[in-house]
Amino acid sequence: VRLTEDALDLDALIADSCDPRSGALVVFGGTVRNHHEGKTVARLSYSAYAPLGNKLIQAIEAETVAKFHVHYCRVVHRTGDLGIGEVAIYAIVRAAHRREAFAAAQYAVDAVKHRVPVWKEEFYADGSSAFVAGCCIDPCHPERSEGSLAGGSGAGDASSPSAPRDDTRKAA
Amino acid sequence: MSIVDCRLSIELFGVLTRLVGTSSIVVALRPGATVADVLMDLAAAHPETNDVLAECAFAIGDRLVPRTRAVRAGERLALLPPVSGG
Repeated sequence: VRLTEDALDLDALIADSCDPRSGALVVFGGTVRNHHEGKTVARLSYSAYAPLGNKLIQAIEAETVAKFHVHYCRVVHRTGDLGIGEVAIYAIVRAAHRREAFAAAQYAVDAVKHRVPVWKEEFYADGSSAFVAGCCIDPCHPERSEGSLAGGSGAGDASSPSAPRDDTRKAA
Repeated sequence: MSIVDCRLSIELFGVLTRLVGTSSIVVALRPGATVADVLMDLAAAHPETNDVLAECAFAIGDRLVPRTRAVRAGERLALLPPVSGG
Protein backbone atom coordinates (compact mmCIF):
# COMPACT_ATOMS: atom_id res chain seq x y z
CA VAL A 1 0.00 0.00 0.00
CA ARG A 2 1.44 3.35 -1.04
CA LEU A 3 -1.48 5.60 -0.10
CA THR A 4 -2.39 5.71 3.56
CA GLU A 5 -4.31 7.78 6.08
CA ASP A 6 -1.81 6.77 8.75
CA ALA A 7 1.13 8.95 9.74
CA LEU A 8 4.20 7.98 7.73
CA ASP A 9 6.84 6.05 9.68
CA LEU A 10 10.26 7.02 8.36
CA ASP A 11 12.19 4.59 10.56
CA ALA A 12 10.14 1.68 9.24
CA LEU A 13 10.53 2.86 5.66
CA ILE A 14 14.30 3.07 6.00
CA ALA A 15 14.49 -0.31 7.71
CA ASP A 16 12.50 -1.90 4.90
CA SER A 17 14.83 -0.43 2.31
CA CYS A 18 18.11 -1.90 3.57
CA ASP A 19 20.30 -3.21 0.76
CA PRO A 20 23.91 -4.32 1.21
CA ARG A 21 24.79 -3.32 -2.36
CA SER A 22 23.93 0.31 -1.69
CA GLY A 23 26.31 3.05 -0.60
CA ALA A 24 23.74 5.82 -0.90
CA LEU A 25 20.45 6.37 0.86
CA VAL A 26 18.39 9.35 -0.26
CA VAL A 27 15.20 10.35 1.54
CA PHE A 28 12.90 13.08 0.32
CA GLY A 29 10.14 14.25 2.61
CA GLY A 30 7.46 16.69 1.55
CA THR A 31 5.96 18.60 4.46
CA VAL A 32 2.94 20.85 4.69
CA ARG A 33 3.95 24.49 4.68
CA ASN A 34 1.92 27.36 6.00
CA HIS A 35 1.74 29.60 2.96
CA HIS A 36 0.84 29.47 -0.70
CA GLU A 37 0.82 32.35 -3.16
CA GLY A 38 0.53 34.94 -0.44
CA LYS A 39 -2.22 33.17 1.46
CA THR A 40 -1.80 31.73 4.92
CA VAL A 41 -2.52 28.01 4.84
CA ALA A 42 -4.03 26.62 8.04
CA ARG A 43 -4.23 22.97 7.00
CA LEU A 44 -4.87 20.82 4.00
CA SER A 45 -6.59 17.65 2.98
CA TYR A 46 -5.44 15.03 0.50
CA SER A 47 -7.86 12.69 -1.20
CA ALA A 48 -6.98 9.88 -3.59
CA TYR A 49 -8.40 7.25 -5.88
CA ALA A 50 -6.63 4.33 -4.24
CA PRO A 51 -7.30 1.43 -6.66
CA LEU A 52 -5.39 3.19 -9.42
CA GLY A 53 -3.13 5.29 -7.22
CA ASN A 54 -1.48 2.39 -5.42
CA LYS A 55 -0.88 0.63 -8.71
CA LEU A 56 0.59 3.71 -10.39
CA ILE A 57 2.99 4.47 -7.54
CA GLN A 58 4.31 0.91 -7.66
CA ALA A 59 4.75 1.25 -11.42
CA ILE A 60 6.64 4.52 -10.93
CA GLU A 61 8.92 2.83 -8.38
CA ALA A 62 9.71 0.02 -10.81
CA GLU A 63 10.22 2.50 -13.62
CA THR A 64 12.59 4.55 -11.45
CA VAL A 65 14.67 1.51 -10.50
CA ALA A 66 15.00 0.51 -14.14
CA LYS A 67 15.69 4.00 -15.48
CA PHE A 68 18.36 5.01 -12.96
CA HIS A 69 19.78 1.56 -12.15
CA VAL A 70 19.15 2.09 -8.45
CA HIS A 71 18.59 -0.79 -6.05
CA TYR A 72 15.45 0.36 -4.33
CA CYS A 73 12.72 2.97 -4.64
CA ARG A 74 9.67 3.38 -2.45
CA VAL A 75 7.17 6.25 -2.40
CA VAL A 76 4.38 6.60 0.13
CA HIS A 77 1.76 9.34 0.20
CA ARG A 78 -0.47 10.38 3.04
CA THR A 79 -4.19 11.03 2.60
CA GLY A 80 -6.72 12.74 4.83
CA ASP A 81 -6.34 15.92 6.87
CA LEU A 82 -2.81 17.16 7.52
CA GLY A 83 -1.61 20.01 9.71
CA ILE A 84 1.29 22.37 9.10
CA GLY A 85 4.63 20.56 9.31
CA GLU A 86 3.23 17.07 8.83
CA VAL A 87 4.83 14.84 6.23
CA ALA A 88 2.69 14.25 3.15
CA ILE A 89 5.10 12.19 1.06
CA TYR A 90 8.33 10.24 1.45
CA ALA A 91 10.51 8.92 -1.32
CA ILE A 92 13.24 6.45 -0.32
CA VAL A 93 15.99 5.47 -2.75
CA ARG A 94 18.98 3.21 -2.27
CA ALA A 95 21.73 3.04 -4.89
CA ALA A 96 25.38 2.21 -5.22
CA HIS A 97 26.29 5.91 -5.43
CA ARG A 98 24.70 9.24 -4.52
CA ARG A 99 24.44 10.71 -8.01
CA GLU A 100 21.92 8.22 -9.32
CA ALA A 101 20.19 8.09 -5.94
CA PHE A 102 19.48 11.84 -5.94
CA ALA A 103 18.35 11.78 -9.57
CA ALA A 104 16.10 8.80 -9.01
CA ALA A 105 14.45 10.31 -5.94
CA GLN A 106 13.68 13.54 -7.79
CA TYR A 107 12.29 11.61 -10.74
CA ALA A 108 10.08 9.44 -8.58
CA VAL A 109 8.62 12.38 -6.64
CA ASP A 110 7.96 14.36 -9.80
CA ALA A 111 6.29 11.37 -11.42
CA VAL A 112 4.03 10.77 -8.44
CA LYS A 113 3.02 14.44 -8.32
CA HIS A 114 2.20 14.45 -12.03
CA ARG A 115 0.59 11.06 -12.61
CA VAL A 116 -1.02 9.67 -9.49
CA PRO A 117 -4.69 10.43 -8.72
CA VAL A 118 -4.23 12.47 -5.54
CA TRP A 119 -5.87 15.83 -4.89
CA LYS A 120 -4.88 18.54 -2.48
CA GLU A 121 -7.37 20.92 -0.96
CA GLU A 122 -5.99 23.90 0.92
CA PHE A 123 -7.81 25.52 3.82
CA TYR A 124 -6.75 29.10 4.44
CA ALA A 125 -6.60 31.17 7.59
CA ASP A 126 -9.31 33.47 6.20
CA GLY A 127 -11.78 30.57 6.16
CA SER A 128 -11.73 29.98 2.42
CA SER A 129 -10.48 26.84 0.69
CA ALA A 130 -9.43 25.70 -2.76
CA PHE A 131 -8.24 22.65 -4.62
CA VAL A 132 -4.75 23.20 -5.98
CA ALA A 133 -4.62 23.15 -9.77
CA GLY A 134 -2.89 20.13 -11.18
CA CYS A 135 -1.90 17.91 -14.07
CA CYS A 136 -4.33 16.24 -16.43
CA ILE A 137 -3.65 12.48 -16.41
CA ASP A 138 -5.91 11.50 -19.30
CA PRO A 139 -3.48 9.83 -21.71
CA CYS A 140 -5.79 10.73 -24.58
CA HIS A 141 -6.08 14.41 -23.75
CA PRO A 142 -4.66 16.67 -26.47
CA GLU A 143 -3.04 18.94 -23.90
CA ARG A 144 -1.77 16.07 -21.77
CA SER A 145 1.83 17.16 -22.11
CA GLU A 146 1.05 20.73 -21.11
CA GLY A 147 -0.62 20.03 -17.79
CA SER A 148 -3.77 21.95 -17.05
CA LEU A 149 -5.60 24.26 -14.74
CA ALA A 150 -8.60 22.78 -13.04
CA GLY A 151 -8.75 24.12 -9.54
CA GLY A 152 -11.27 26.74 -10.48
CA SER A 153 -9.96 28.94 -7.70
CA GLY A 154 -6.71 30.19 -9.06
CA ALA A 155 -5.03 28.81 -5.98
CA GLY A 156 -2.36 26.85 -7.77
CA ASP A 157 -0.01 26.94 -10.70
CA ALA A 158 -0.16 25.05 -13.94
CA SER A 159 2.60 22.57 -14.37
CA SER A 160 3.92 20.14 -16.88
CA PRO A 161 5.25 16.62 -16.47
CA SER A 162 8.49 17.73 -18.07
CA ALA A 163 8.82 20.86 -15.94
CA PRO A 164 7.97 20.05 -12.34
CA ARG A 165 6.23 22.86 -10.56
CA ASP A 166 7.13 24.18 -7.17
CA ASP A 167 3.80 25.48 -6.07
CA THR A 168 3.02 23.30 -3.12
CA ARG A 169 3.67 23.79 0.52
CA LYS A 170 6.47 21.30 0.58
CA ALA A 171 10.04 21.96 1.48
CA ALA A 172 11.07 20.89 -1.98
CA MET B 1 -33.56 -6.49 -16.03
CA SER B 2 -34.32 -4.65 -12.84
CA ILE B 3 -33.91 -0.94 -12.34
CA VAL B 4 -30.84 -1.56 -10.20
CA ASP B 5 -29.20 -3.42 -13.08
CA CYS B 6 -29.53 -0.36 -15.32
CA ARG B 7 -27.62 1.97 -13.09
CA LEU B 8 -24.06 3.17 -13.01
CA SER B 9 -22.23 4.52 -9.99
CA ILE B 10 -20.04 7.54 -10.57
CA GLU B 11 -17.31 8.44 -8.09
CA LEU B 12 -16.23 12.07 -8.01
CA PHE B 13 -12.89 13.40 -6.82
CA GLY B 14 -11.14 16.68 -6.20
CA VAL B 15 -12.91 19.83 -7.23
CA LEU B 16 -15.77 17.81 -8.75
CA THR B 17 -16.94 16.91 -5.26
CA ARG B 18 -17.34 20.61 -4.49
CA LEU B 19 -19.02 21.45 -7.79
CA VAL B 20 -21.57 18.64 -7.57
CA GLY B 21 -21.83 18.63 -3.79
CA THR B 22 -21.25 14.93 -3.30
CA SER B 23 -18.57 12.30 -3.88
CA SER B 24 -20.79 9.67 -5.41
CA ILE B 25 -23.86 9.65 -7.63
CA VAL B 26 -25.89 6.96 -9.36
CA VAL B 27 -27.24 7.52 -12.84
CA ALA B 28 -29.55 5.63 -15.15
CA LEU B 29 -27.60 3.89 -17.89
CA ARG B 30 -28.77 3.82 -21.49
CA PRO B 31 -28.00 0.63 -23.43
CA GLY B 32 -24.68 0.93 -25.21
CA ALA B 33 -23.68 4.10 -23.39
CA THR B 34 -20.02 5.06 -23.34
CA VAL B 35 -18.03 7.11 -20.85
CA ALA B 36 -18.54 10.10 -23.15
CA ASP B 37 -22.32 9.61 -23.05
CA VAL B 38 -22.28 9.51 -19.27
CA LEU B 39 -20.24 12.71 -19.21
CA MET B 40 -22.67 14.44 -21.53
CA ASP B 41 -25.53 13.65 -19.20
CA LEU B 42 -23.55 14.75 -16.17
CA ALA B 43 -22.58 18.05 -17.77
CA ALA B 44 -26.22 18.65 -18.72
CA ALA B 45 -27.32 18.11 -15.13
CA HIS B 46 -24.36 20.02 -13.68
CA PRO B 47 -23.20 22.62 -16.23
CA GLU B 48 -20.66 23.99 -13.76
CA THR B 49 -18.64 20.78 -14.18
CA ASN B 50 -18.17 21.21 -17.91
CA ASP B 51 -14.66 22.72 -17.87
CA VAL B 52 -13.35 20.22 -15.33
CA LEU B 53 -14.85 17.24 -17.15
CA ALA B 54 -12.91 18.27 -20.25
CA GLU B 55 -9.70 17.78 -18.26
CA CYS B 56 -10.65 14.55 -16.48
CA ALA B 57 -9.24 11.09 -16.83
CA PHE B 58 -11.48 8.08 -16.18
CA ALA B 59 -10.97 4.82 -14.37
CA ILE B 60 -12.86 1.66 -13.65
CA GLY B 61 -11.21 -0.37 -10.92
CA ASP B 62 -7.44 0.00 -11.22
CA ARG B 63 -7.40 0.85 -14.93
CA LEU B 64 -7.67 4.09 -16.83
CA VAL B 65 -10.31 3.89 -19.54
CA PRO B 66 -10.89 6.07 -22.60
CA ARG B 67 -14.03 8.10 -23.25
CA THR B 68 -14.98 5.65 -25.97
CA ARG B 69 -15.27 2.71 -23.57
CA ALA B 70 -18.75 1.26 -23.16
CA VAL B 71 -19.88 1.26 -19.56
CA ARG B 72 -21.86 -1.59 -18.09
CA ALA B 73 -24.52 -1.64 -15.44
CA GLY B 74 -23.15 -2.18 -11.98
CA GLU B 75 -19.72 -0.71 -12.75
CA ARG B 76 -18.20 2.18 -10.82
CA LEU B 77 -16.79 4.92 -13.01
CA ALA B 78 -14.25 7.22 -11.34
CA LEU B 79 -13.88 10.76 -12.69
CA LEU B 80 -10.34 11.98 -12.06
CA PRO B 81 -9.70 15.73 -12.38
CA PRO B 82 -6.14 17.01 -12.86
CA VAL B 83 -4.03 15.70 -10.00
CA SER B 84 -2.14 17.67 -7.36
CA GLY B 85 -0.43 15.26 -5.01
CA GLY B 86 2.94 15.61 -3.36
